[in-house]
Amino acid sequence: MSTGVAAAIRPRVGSRRAYPPVRLAAAVVVAALTLIPLGYVLVFVIAEGPAQAAELLLRPRVGELLRNTSALVAAGCAASAVVGTGAAWLVERTSLPGRPVWTALMAAPLAVPAFVNSYGWVSVTAAVEGFAGAVLITTLSYYPLVYLPVTAVLRGMDPAFEELSRTLGNGPWRTFFRVVLPQLRPALLGGVLLVGLHLLAEFGALQALRFPTFTTAIYDQFESTFNGAAATMLAGVLVLGCLLLLVGELRLAGRARVSRVGGGAARTAVPHRLGALTPFALLAMAALAGLALGVPLVILGRWLVVGSSTAFPIGQITEITLTSIGFGLAGAALTCVLAVPGAWLSVRHRGWVSRVLERSTYIAGSLPGIVVALAFVTLAVGYLPVVYQTSILLVAAYAVLFMPRAMVSLRAALAQVPPELDDSARALGARPSGVLWRVTLPLVLRGLGTGAALVFLAVVTELTATLLLAPTGTATLATEFWSNSSSLAYGAAAPYALMMIVISAPAAWLLTRESRREMGRA
Amino acid sequence: MWRSRLGAVRTGRTRIRTIVASVAAITLAATLGACGSASGSSEPTITLYNAQHKELGREWVDGFTKETGIKVEVRDGKDFELANQILAEGDASPADVFLTENSPAMSLLSSKGVLAPLDAATIAQVPARYRSGAEDWVGIAARSTVLVYNPSLLPADQLPNSIMELSQPQWKDRIGIAAGGADFQAIVSAVYAVNGDAAAGEWLAGLKQNARVYQGNIPIMNAVNAGEIPAGVIYHYYWYRDRAESGQDSKNTELKYFGDKDAGAFVSVSGGGVLRSAKHPAEAQRFIAYLTSKSGQQVLAESYALEYPVGSDVPANKALKPLSELDPPAIDPNTLNGSKVISEMQRVGLL
Amino acid sequence: MTQTSERTQQQAVATDGLRVTGVRKSYGPVPVLRDVDLAVPAGALTAVVGRSGCGKTTLLRLIAGFDRPDAGTVTIDGRPVAGPAGVLSPEARRIGYVTQEGNLFPHLTVAANIAFGLPRRARRARGRVLELLELIGLDAGHAKRYPHELSGGQQQRVALARALAPEPGILLLDEPFSSLDVELRESTRRAVADALAAAGTTTVLVTHDQTEALSLATRVAVMRDGRIVQEASPAELYRHPVDRGVAAFVGDVVVLPATVCGGVAQCALGGLPVAAPAAEGPATVLLRPEQIALDGGDDGVPAHVVDVEYYGHDAVVRLTLGAACQVTARCPGYALPAVGAQVRLAVRGEVGVETGLG
Repeated sequence: MSTGVAAAIRPRVGSRRAYPPVRLAAAVVVAALTLIPLGYVLVFVIAEGPAQAAELLLRPRVGELLRNTSALVAAGCAASAVVGTGAAWLVERTSLPGRPVWTALMAAPLAVPAFVNSYGWVSVTAAVEGFAGAVLITTLSYYPLVYLPVTAVLRGMDPAFEELSRTLGNGPWRTFFRVVLPQLRPALLGGVLLVGLHLLAEFGALQALRFPTFTTAIYDQFESTFNGAAATMLAGVLVLGCLLLLVGELRLAGRARVSRVGGGAARTAVPHRLGALTPFALLAMAALAGLALGVPLVILGRWLVVGSSTAFPIGQITEITLTSIGFGLAGAALTCVLAVPGAWLSVRHRGWVSRVLERSTYIAGSLPGIVVALAFVTLAVGYLPVVYQTSILLVAAYAVLFMPRAMVSLRAALAQVPPELDDSARALGARPSGVLWRVTLPLVLRGLGTGAALVFLAVVTELTATLLLAPTGTATLATEFWSNSSSLAYGAAAPYALMMIVISAPAAWLLTRESRREMGRA
Repeated sequence: MWRSRLGAVRTGRTRIRTIVASVAAITLAATLGACGSASGSSEPTITLYNAQHKELGREWVDGFTKETGIKVEVRDGKDFELANQILAEGDASPADVFLTENSPAMSLLSSKGVLAPLDAATIAQVPARYRSGAEDWVGIAARSTVLVYNPSLLPADQLPNSIMELSQPQWKDRIGIAAGGADFQAIVSAVYAVNGDAAAGEWLAGLKQNARVYQGNIPIMNAVNAGEIPAGVIYHYYWYRDRAESGQDSKNTELKYFGDKDAGAFVSVSGGGVLRSAKHPAEAQRFIAYLTSKSGQQVLAESYALEYPVGSDVPANKALKPLSELDPPAIDPNTLNGSKVISEMQRVGLL
Repeated sequence: MTQTSERTQQQAVATDGLRVTGVRKSYGPVPVLRDVDLAVPAGALTAVVGRSGCGKTTLLRLIAGFDRPDAGTVTIDGRPVAGPAGVLSPEARRIGYVTQEGNLFPHLTVAANIAFGLPRRARRARGRVLELLELIGLDAGHAKRYPHELSGGQQQRVALARALAPEPGILLLDEPFSSLDVELRESTRRAVADALAAAGTTTVLVTHDQTEALSLATRVAVMRDGRIVQEASPAELYRHPVDRGVAAFVGDVVVLPATVCGGVAQCALGGLPVAAPAAEGPATVLLRPEQIALDGGDDGVPAHVVDVEYYGHDAVVRLTLGAACQVTARCPGYALPAVGAQVRLAVRGEVGVETGLG
């Protein structure tokens, strides 16, 4: 009897319903768009033939780049994991004074692009050049990518687990390693994966810090040969690196489930007393905030005031700021719109088709901007000259690059909307498109906002794809900062860096607020 | 509960509309703003692919527009990036005019036959040694190779006599180069032209061992000034510019001119040419004519650029060592082979 | 055999299980515990019951060491763990703790969960894990499963096994059955009771479910407003609650005005024998519905059946005695009166009396 009822209900929430053709088609088109760069690199590498490929890849330079890139990714990921998790634990689980202040400060480096940060440091001391400096500065820029998800999990984690571990004879440290850390694992790995992908793709910061990796080498090749074979071949290696990271994360995440078993509301944790360690913890947090935020802001301020090349061409700055905001908004809007069909299918129609469609967008999004841009330049020159050097192509590249950011937020929001609401709306006479527009979208507005903020932040600070794809005569804050700072005109570059931070700040703030809300709900 | 949810839906819909409307408005405004600057005049707008210094390019463009009323849209890039881009774009290339910092990228285009012959009057404004033998591009400026050094780390009596010495082991980690830039690539092409493939190849391999690679000429000069490295290979004008401004980043450094027809005394020619596929060939020709004219070369001479003028007998800034005293090797600028240099630099691992 | 149990008893007296003395705790200006005293003899199971917010969970957390008392001492097996001399951290107290949700570590298998508190070397040996699985009545095949692959009741039993594995000096159960549905609750409760009896661990059970407390515990302490108002054996508590509140908390109660005179309370149900000595004069009589029988014969107090709520094994019958007075009786399900019938009531056993405010 009861199984009969269950069987009768299951198809309603499950996968058996036919895919709605329009949405399926839209999702397929979006997935195809996002797979262009990967396909381009694969086709190119295959077409080049093994002999040519071997000649371009089996060079000492490639070995050097491989060593540099893997060392940076390994060290940067490890450092970000330690710093991000440590900061999250101090803020969420201990008696650290000034918690609201730290909560706001810890995520704020999101608004300071890594290349601005590294130029700040380089303009003060050459000691940050090379491997150690590259690890230090990329960690300062990217640890929030670990900090935010780990904070969210810590806040949602039932403190009973930690208490139980204490009753079973484990002190605070052993409790952290045996109970807290394993539960943080998916969030931590997810964050570390993002850091790794960012490090693979990072260009401006590493160029400034004189630490060559595949991405900087690809750009150098591009500057020497436009769309030459060597650049594409290096891109192929880089793509391989990204795929390795993606697979590695999947393997490590394992099968263990981490959500709380059982229902009911979690209590808030009794904070660990830091006691005599409080000054040290405060010092560490202050140092982190100071290095990640204070140093770049102070240096930026100094450039503005004393830089010999400082100029305030107000009209030009305003125009370029508006261009950046325009691209940011257009990119955010297009990306979110394109993410809707895939996200909707993957939540409402679980099955391998929707899973493949959704996952494919992640692969594309994990490729560095330079690879995506190379693919788009070559394809547009060869096959679609109409869009070549237009804003359309650039915004499309943004959408491909940053799709996962919108997808993740949108999926999470959609999963919260009970499918019964769709049925109720249909019963009240709404057409499927009407349901989407009148019921589903308003309910996922918040998630859509988070996704849009993430994309906006990324677009405003995007450098390589913009350098390669922007229409003739169009500059953004990032490219203008880049061209000034790479000729070491720090004073002239400073206003653009400042505007970049100013227009990024609201999005970064929105994200901090949203992640707090998520935690509150968890 | 239900009531509040429905309320949320209703306000949500208005919010969606507001957001959609404002995003659309701002995007439209930004796009219109971008287009607005390009239209609105009866004169055609020509497209310049500019690999010259951005600021110098702007000064020339402003002077040209002032003189002729013709507007110029500029795409900035690097020599070989833009040259190869033009080749990839083929007949569909939006570019009308192309300016470089160094000649190898120009010779590449010349060898592919994508450059249009220049007006005879324009050719006549530039001496033969600063232009293409095929008369499809002309020099618009010139710069001299120098060794910038820090006398406290490298006393004058230890200075090399030839750029070729820099591949010797005693220079390990003591020399800075900007391997990724077209400037240094042009110098390498001169070494190949002067000393032959075998010697140049060996030199390049030695340099790979010795050199620290910087992002550009200014970072090299800064590093030498700060005592991070004793010497570096750059072009002269970066040093003079800094001296003309504040001297902040050059005060601890001096310049060594190799002279003596050494490859290290190479004077690199910046070129300008018109594309065969130009949509506005007449206006494009006028642009090159303007650059090499007295007023165009005067703009260069008076600008902060401190490069050497090459046309219409305009003298260089008095602060510079005169062009006639540099004693460079005799090289036909149109024979410098950029593609070979890049593949050679890839072979030894500098690229 | 006899000798061993004698020795255990002697030890029990000497080591004294758990002792909480004069414990006070406030959160901000709000006092949560006011001078709580509680003693749990070694090997006994004391249930602490009370409505939510009465302070019972706070008391448990102070015993566990998650929080520190403002005043008072806590002693486990003769060793002070919280008091003026300082506070011992939870991991040093040798306690077992089972929460409402079980909180099995989701990243570990059942076996790893049970072995979690064992010393590193003992974790690998399967013997202890299998022993505990047997103790809680799960077969060895469950060892390799993950928590989300178990039912709620199984999760709670594994949580108990995990708490018992390191042989704690005292076991703390915080509403361990409340998240289970009725059917599971019964069976899990039985399994836990058996396991606890076998292990013989001193146990404190916090619950708001009085049936759970009465059926499982050797002693029951009732908390109200941060105080323990009565501590007694289940039968004593049920039969002789100290006041109407306690009476109502541990079961249904019939309350009638009365006059006490010479150990007998005169009320609408006639003269009833009073259990404990009480002050003479006006008072309130407290008795349980099942003490009222409907077959009182001719001497019985006449009453009129207003309503019958039928539960199967028994039924609750509402009756009026004259115009103003209503009582409820609980009768076996096999012999029920019809609504509207006239019956005669008799009261079995002694009754409680509340004087003063009554």
